Amino acid sequence: MRIPFISMFMTSPFEGLQEHAEKVKECAWTFQQAVECHIADRCIRFEDFRAEIIAMESQADAIKRRIRGHIPMGTVMPVAKFQLFLYLREQDSVLDAVEDVLDWISYRTDPGIPQELEKDFLQLVDVVIDPIDELSEMVKAAREYFKSYSESQRVVVKEIIRKLRRQEHEADKIEDMVKRKAFNLKTDPVTVFHMVRLAEIIGSVADHAENAGDVMRAMIAK
Amino acid sequence: MAPEYYILIIGYVFGFYMAWNIGANDVANAMATSVGAKAITIRQAIFLAGVLNLLGAMFIGSHVTDTIRKGIVSTEILSDPHMALIGALSALLAAALWVSFSTLMALPVSTTHSIVGAMIGFGIMAGGFSVINWGKFGAVVLSWIISPLFSIIIAYVMFKFIVLVVLSRKDPFSWALKLSPFFIGLTVFVVVLSFLFKTPLGTSLALESWAALVAAALMAVFSGFAGMYVLKNVVKNKKDGAEAIFKYIQVGTACYVALAQGANDVANAIGPLAVIYFLVKTGTVGAKVPVPGFLLVFGGIGIACGIAMAGHRVMDTMGRKITLLSNTRGFSVEFAAATTVLVASKMGLPVSTTHAAVGGVLGVGLARGIEAVNFSIVFRIMLYWLLTVPVAALTSMLIFKILQLFIL
Repeated sequence: MRIPFISMFMTSPFEGLQEHAEKVKECAWTFQQAVECHIADRCIRFEDFRAEIIAMESQADAIKRRIRGHIPMGTVMPVAKFQLFLYLREQDSVLDAVEDVLDWISYRTDPGIPQELEKDFLQLVDVVIDPIDELSEMVKAAREYFKSYSESQRVVVKEIIRKLRRQEHEADKIEDMVKRKAFNLKTDPVTVFHMVRLAEIIGSVADHAENAGDVMRAMIAK
Repeated sequence: MAPEYYILIIGYVFGFYMAWNIGANDVANAMATSVGAKAITIRQAIFLAGVLNLLGAMFIGSHVTDTIRKGIVSTEILSDPHMALIGALSALLAAALWVSFSTLMALPVSTTHSIVGAMIGFGIMAGGFSVINWGKFGAVVLSWIISPLFSIIIAYVMFKFIVLVVLSRKDPFSWALKLSPFFIGLTVFVVVLSFLFKTPLGTSLALESWAALVAAALMAVFSGFAGMYVLKNVVKNKKDGAEAIFKYIQVGTACYVALAQGANDVANAIGPLAVIYFLVKTGTVGAKVPVPGFLLVFGGIGIACGIAMAGHRVMDTMGRKITLLSNTRGFSVEFAAATTVLVASKMGLPVSTTHAAVGGVLGVGLARGIEAVNFSIVFRIMLYWLLTVPVAALTSMLIFKILQLFIL
């Protein structure tokens, strides 16, 4: 503190943002494994995967809190504080949605996913995995942009955002299809409700990733 | 030995101590960004800062010393040599005490402001409130507000300019190389001008203003293109783009800050010492007494010693904390800080190098150049700035009273 020059420099919240994005990415694989396991016959590890996701979610929450708690008044950043928090919230929602999916499955594991929908659900999960992975790439690219301010780097970030939008659209389409199929199943209404809601929650993973992309777009606006 | 000589010796000791403090604490301003951006090593930084502070103190320094001594406090008080002697000593002691205290308590206090406050205290004790030239004092205080603002603006404009003409281009590396003569030239221009105006060196060359401008411009153009030639042959690492070029230019601006710092801050240490020296040597101090060169050298050596002995610890902290600054940012910060300080010191305004450097970082931060900068330090700085002048003045008055009891 005696040396004001040094006191001005603080830990960058982008560091935390990146760490948070990595955490989100980390859960992607586990998420996929969990859903695949659930769909497969005789799944015994589903609860393990779920516990793992819950642990990761709370770790990510800790990172989120740390970022929020360590941007004092008068911090100057390349982006507005609001944008940063908004972005963080969306990125965190991705992980929350992943956890919600597994929770929702765990409420009613027994009859499992009807055979007619198995393939579609696998496809849906596949489509939402990519956006989860993409987030950490996006944060990395954006940090690089804020460092280099090069036009080409800006294009890289914008391309990732576009990709997120496309992937969300893709996920939407599959989600619609799954829901349509679910309503036409010759099965009990509880299963239909469980499936429809499940498709919606899985779809929301991509929604939140897209939202994160939209906020990022605002952040890199000139 | 007459008591005056004891006072002179004490003056030397505390003058040196003040200089040492400046070196130990303010070396960060000059070299932090370069060390943080890995443009130079800690060892190189210490060496460069030491040598350049000394050079700056020797060749550019004298003008500021005059102002601190004679601008704010009227020369009337110097008519009683005995009183003036005690006064100058108490000012020096008070400033040294306050700086030590703030170092101990880790308060962001400026050495410049401490010495100005202490000199005012001495003036009030020696001649009452009327001897303080409040208009001049107001101008000095104003300069403390203006100098960081000035620095913010220069740094902001400089960084935005670099983004515009270098970074956002398709091939930043070649643009950085192409425009390097401009950036180098601009730096050299200001440095050369500051050497030529109102310094012993400039006086001995006796150049007219326009001649100095032309000479500086010529040197700027020459060194700019020479610099480009060297960069073209030295920088092979195109991967880092423009940063690789600015890495080298930044070393130049770091030196520029160190030079400006030596020029500006040496006065803080040896201002009162110069008064003591003259009183002891001649018995009087006239209205116009030049600061002897060897005192500037003495102050410069003090600063260099501070850098050499305590600089390592400071640099180490910096190296770990300031990792977010790239070379283009460092260049902008340093250019802004040094230009502010040199302009101020040419105008005879005792501004704080630290505040100029802080302003530079904020300017780049506002230009969206840094991932996170803590602006709130500015308010703390302002708080201690409001405290420093009265505290140093009061301490100086108190010491004056005590010394009067013992010596008179």
